[in-house]
Amino acid sequence: MNKDSQMRAAINQKLIEMGERERLKELLRAKLVECGWKDQMKAQCKDVIREKGLEHVTVEDLVVEITPKGRALVPDSVKKELLQRIRAFLAQHSTL
Amino acid sequence: MKMENMSLSGLDNTKLEALAQDIYSDLVEDACLGLCFEVHRAVKQGYFFLDDTDQESMKDFEIVDQPGVDIFGQVYNQWKNKECVCPNCNRSIAASRFAPHLEKCLGMGRNSSRIANRRIASSNNTNNKSESDQEDNDDVNDNDWSYGSEKKAKKRKSDKNPNSPRRSKSLKHKNGELSSSVNTDPYKYNYNTGINYETLGPDELRSLLTTQCGVISEHTKKMCTRSQRCPQHTDQQRRAVRVFLLGLSATSLPDSNTAVESDGYDASDGQVLMSRLQWDGSSDISPSDSASSKASTNNSDSKKPKKKKKTSLNSTGGGGGGSGSVGGSSSQGCLAGQANRKKPKLPVPPAPSIYDNLN
Repeated sequence: MNKDSQMRAAINQKLIEMGERERLKELLRAKLVECGWKDQMKAQCKDVIREKGLEHVTVEDLVVEITPKGRALVPDSVKKELLQRIRAFLAQHSTL
Repeated sequence: MKMENMSLSGLDNTKLEALAQDIYSDLVEDACLGLCFEVHRAVKQGYFFLDDTDQESMKDFEIVDQPGVDIFGQVYNQWKNKECVCPNCNRSIAASRFAPHLEKCLGMGRNSSRIANRRIASSNNTNNKSESDQEDNDDVNDNDWSYGSEKKAKKRKSDKNPNSPRRSKSLKHKNGELSSSVNTDPYKYNYNTGINYETLGPDELRSLLTTQCGVISEHTKKMCTRSQRCPQHTDQQRRAVRVFLLGLSATSLPDSNTAVESDGYDASDGQVLMSRLQWDGSSDISPSDSASSKASTNNSDSKKPKKKKKTSLNSTGGGGGGSGSVGGSSSQGCLAGQANRKKPKLPVPPAPSIYDNLN
């Protein structure tokens, strides 16, 4: 298990060093805006804010309520494209 | 343990897939966190609910697409927006006439500045004030105040001066003969305007004479206000006026005698030819005659004494020489001849030459 965690840390570091992580993040953000995911999430946020109250809502409340819904609402096409890009990166850098 | 020593080749597909899923979930979580922070900031700053709109209130602001009304549903006057109010005189003017009206109203246009200059010059002369006001009153032709100005402008097109230089037709020939109705005075103008030179100071005179013709009329004793290329007066007349008014230093115009002869046909040449034919009584003209006539005109025009060329002159040649000395080949030759007879030409000081010190 120790070896696996080290491997993950090494891959993440390589992603950050090469700037691939930022590129993937920008791609994901653009695709999510394009498919209307962001608008759906904002509507969910409005419901949470009305429920909790405008003055009493915190970031933790929003994160707890929104993150699971956000993961579920990501379209399959976006998920497939992103996973394909990650696999291509891992295959390209098989020997770190 | 360093990264270089580790390799992914030993990992199977399931572990690689797990790694990819892990990276993907991190990215999605980042996106969700970013959205949460953005929304929370908008809530606390107070602009999160700004884009909320009620469907019923949206109906009030829908674009109206009906004939006779604008997009807001308001009835508009079609002619109201086609009128402008002049900022100078506060009159309501049609939009199509606003620019020409403003040009005249503010007195900043080309014609307006000319009229203003004339008025300033004529205001110095108190005797002819009413006359100049009648001549230069541009409000007579100012159609800015009426809507039917376009029609008037069309009518005015046909009232143009038939004697204007643009309208003058070129002389027609029929089988080498000149047409019998030759217009002897092609430059007949009906200009009554002028400036009284007696009331002007030397500086004003100098500035006027740099831009205008300035020849003083014998009848009205006023200066010609047209440009220096005025076809009614010759360069000699203009030079004489400048010498008379400003002294000998004011010889700014080129000498008319040194003008380049043009080979083109001219009305005055035709008249000279006609008179020569009548004087001769013979229609047979040899090439030597024309050469001799040219030689005689050149000799008569030149100022410096030259050696005489030996040319065989018969009786017709002599006649040609005599008639040729009436005027030059320019279209204003006859007028120049008359001017020479009327006024004795004042001597022009010789221009200093670069070859003077060589002689």
